[in-house]
Amino acid sequence: MRNHRLHIVIITGVLGLFLLPFALTAQDAGAGARGGQRGAGGARGGRGGRGAAQPSAPTPRWPDGRVNLDAAPGQKGFWNVMQGNVVGRNGSALPTNLTLDEVPFQDWARSVYEYRQSRQGLDDPHARCYPAGGMRFFTVPNGLNIVDQPELNRIFLISGENRDWRRIAMEPGRKHPPEDQIVPSYFGDSIGHWEGETLVVDTVGFNERFWVIRGGLPHTRFLHLVERFTRVNYNSLKYEVTIDDKGAYTRPWSGGWLIPWQTVNYDNSPGGEIHEYFCHDNERDSERFDLDETRSK
Amino acid sequence: MTCSRIGFFALALIIAAALATPLLAHHSFAAEYDSKQPINIKGAVTKVEWMNPHVYFYIDVRDEQTGKITNWAFEMGAPAVIQRNGWTRNSMKIGDLVIVEGTRAKSGAPHGNARSVTLAATGKKLGAGSSEGQVPEQ
Repeated sequence: MRNHRLHIVIITGVLGLFLLPFALTAQDAGAGARGGQRGAGGARGGRGGRGAAQPSAPTPRWPDGRVNLDAAPGQKGFWNVMQGNVVGRNGSALPTNLTLDEVPFQDWARSVYEYRQSRQGLDDPHARCYPAGGMRFFTVPNGLNIVDQPELNRIFLISGENRDWRRIAMEPGRKHPPEDQIVPSYFGDSIGHWEGETLVVDTVGFNERFWVIRGGLPHTRFLHLVERFTRVNYNSLKYEVTIDDKGAYTRPWSGGWLIPWQTVNYDNSPGGEIHEYFCHDNERDSERFDLDETRSK
Repeated sequence: MTCSRIGFFALALIIAAALATPLLAHHSFAAEYDSKQPINIKGAVTKVEWMNPHVYFYIDVRDEQTGKITNWAFEMGAPAVIQRNGWTRNSMKIGDLVIVEGTRAKSGAPHGNARSVTLAATGKKLGAGSSEGQVPEQ
């Protein structure tokens, strides 16, 4: 009997170890909804948001009352982007996400998606170190900082992954260039504005050289993303995106996930600073993908 | 069971869990490695590349029957990822004898994805940041 109880305790402990990050992320969101009243921001933290064991500090603000989407003055840290998926409801995903069978694929797009899945990622451009374009920017590791420069009407999103960055133009009334003047790119042309507590970013002008997410969702040059960033409390950023692509889907559809704040370095040492990571440094996988291709013919 | 034995058992489970925790690589594990081909191999380190996106190390493995030596390449996680498991760039030196547990490449080449590395001289075992076991993304 004693042994039986001991086994239950140990199994429960190990399960808890695996589930802790997700549980804490969910706790963050709940704290945000309540307005989070306690604590100084950002002094805690850990990989995958594990440092959020205590109730999160409230959403930080600039002296003029605007939401601060990064570290409070005197603090360090970054958004631990990495785990997130616009489809499905597991882990940090929003409960309103579509399941895969609810995604409004056009027939050809569903076929492409299923083919990519059947190949188990062998054709993924990012596996060959091409940029994680569009919203996939928020699903790759190595951290993210958000640099808000209101005096210059711009916000930079700076990723540790290949030191990629996105620029969000914040000039009031700004419009996208005409379609025939945009050079298609991985991150497109982004224009942002604030809707209350939420930064809303509208982006067009994407190329077709990346996958929407790691699983292989396809898109076309018509891809139009509307992204919404809401810092629900100090330790949690809600990312919501609407995918509007008349070339690949029958209607616009949405999903999102919660991104945790981290206050230690990526290797878990003290610091809370993003680091250099270049995929091309020692990329040896693609030559082996090609070997597999040869072998399978 | 004494408290110390319970503590030891729990600690072993936690270490096993840490070794098994899948980590996100820049490519799908299944695109390159075959989970049905596990490897447990011993050899002497010939080279270590402490770089992104993956640390690579190479070992000379001697075939006990033929005496032929083959140089195997092993992929680990990114430096920052395996540093969480206790690695430093000096954990493994040229000439060190190591035991590698991992998975062989689909290509059939002498190349694999390391799940753990044990230093034969000390018995110290370190997780290698493998992305094996990661749930495939939709």
